[in-house]
Amino acid sequence: MSEPLLHVSGLGKRFGGFVALDGIDFAVGEGERVGLIGPNGSGKSTLVNCICGTLHNDAGTVRFDGGNVDGLLAHERTRLGLARTFQLPRPFPSMTVADNVRVPLLYTVNARGHGFLTAADIATRCTDLLDIVGLAHKMDKWPRDLTQVEMRKLELARAMAAEPKLLIADEAMAGLSQVEVADIVGLLIRLNERGITIVLIEHIMRAVMSFSQRLVVLVSGKKIADGPPDEVIRDPEVERAYLGQ
Amino acid sequence: MVIGGVVSGIVGLGTGYLTLRLRGAFFAIATLALAVVLQTLIINWTYVGGARGAYVIRPNEIAILGSYIQYLFLLMLVLAVIVICTARLIERSRLGYGFATIRDDELAAEACGVPTLRLKLIATTLSGAFMGMAGAPFPYYIGYIEPSSAFGLAYAVNSIAMPMIGGTTTWIGPLIGAILLGLLQQFATVTISSAVNLLIVGMLLVDFVIIAPNGIVGLIKERRTASNVVVEPTVFVLLFALNFSPVYFLAGQGTGAQSIGLVFWLILAYVAYMRGRVLGRWWLIAFPLAGVLFAFAPVIAAIPVTAATFVSALLQIICVVCGLLPVRRPAEASAR
Repeated sequence: MSEPLLHVSGLGKRFGGFVALDGIDFAVGEGERVGLIGPNGSGKSTLVNCICGTLHNDAGTVRFDGGNVDGLLAHERTRLGLARTFQLPRPFPSMTVADNVRVPLLYTVNARGHGFLTAADIATRCTDLLDIVGLAHKMDKWPRDLTQVEMRKLELARAMAAEPKLLIADEAMAGLSQVEVADIVGLLIRLNERGITIVLIEHIMRAVMSFSQRLVVLVSGKKIADGPPDEVIRDPEVERAYLGQ
Repeated sequence: MVIGGVVSGIVGLGTGYLTLRLRGAFFAIATLALAVVLQTLIINWTYVGGARGAYVIRPNEIAILGSYIQYLFLLMLVLAVIVICTARLIERSRLGYGFATIRDDELAAEACGVPTLRLKLIATTLSGAFMGMAGAPFPYYIGYIEPSSAFGLAYAVNSIAMPMIGGTTTWIGPLIGAILLGLLQQFATVTISSAVNLLIVGMLLVDFVIIAPNGIVGLIKERRTASNVVVEPTVFVLLFALNFSPVYFLAGQGTGAQSIGLVFWLILAYVAYMRGRVLGRWWLIAFPLAGVLFAFAPVIAAIPVTAATFVSALLQIICVVCGLLPVRRPAEASAR
């Protein structure tokens, strides 16, 4: 068996005396849809930040696409094909929706060295990407004119613009209505069908269950379960963590 | 001049390398501190004259162009054009997009593959280099330089105030700011005194930070979505007091001074208009406009200055009071 796309082993991170992550091992295979769940403060976002290079892990290693990415800066990891969205949408407020998507095209796709996009190529790509997420009609609007769900879609489009192999969606649906959640889940599944591996971090169980092929559960910085969603949610330890004793 | 540019570029790079790990206000403090360090170095460097400063003897004539002052003017003009062209080129380039993302959101910029630290170093190097090139003709222009004036606050404040007033998000903003502020200052120097310069800059800076954080360009672009800080009662009163004070100082100083006062009157009118719009009292704007008339009255007609100032002050006080009186509309609505 070939090496998984993302391989996290023995990952540890502490903030002062607080152990945020403690020896996390997990792997994501190519083309997989993985859900990552856990109660508040269980270290999900810290894990994402360590994988993406926003934070640096104290222990363990992160291997991505056959290479060790420890010590690489966040933008270098993005160029390798590791894209993420943020828990709270972080658009560039002074740029139009189209320009927001243009940035990763300029800085990631063109920086990779193989194949240079001309200005016209970039414009077409922007339209295509916004078309996929259904924002093409708002290309020339400003982020402040978008609704919450549109902001999430922009966030996804921007992550997709970097042509990632792996997309980590950090709570892409928090605060959305049921219809909007279904909308985003559908979008993520469509993206997955285009060959992008997706890790979804989410609180909304219905969304996670309908999306994931595999579920990983974190509780207080430790991985307590990893397997098919139906089995994992019946796991007594998971139930205890979520519902209390 | 080129040497000045290169050296300052290197200093900019060094400063950036040392201070860019700090964020926000701390970065600003660190760069200011570095300026003080440099000043100390210069004071203790005998070759450049130390604390005594140095005289620069400039030739009176120069080939082809004639007057040396004209040559300097031309040189600075060319420099300004180069800088503006560069700014405009950068704005539309990959580099410009990168800078904008860093200004907007550093974390998101990193996630989009923007090498933030490297871009910030490029930014400090470029601005250092251009400032250095701008400074190179300066001693020839002034004729005598010494540390305490060359490192003076006036230059630092001016170079921040000009883009702040014009608008920092586009290449044209600093140009507008520089032209406006430069004109105003030259005007003040000729008609009143050079010390008033800094007062004007300071006042305008405070005004713009409150009324138009994105400068004139921002004010025009976002006129529909502009924040309504100005209409807050306390801000309204403060702005009124602040902008009326120079009017008091300028009273009876002649036409030139009144033209400077006009700028503050315009700001007063804008503030009154904004406040009036919220309250539904459109006529508030009439008070500052009437004030303008009274400011010019002593110059044109033979009305005593004190009387005119008094009347205009009274008018503005009425304006503030009217702007603060509670609106009766909710009560009327409930009565109906």
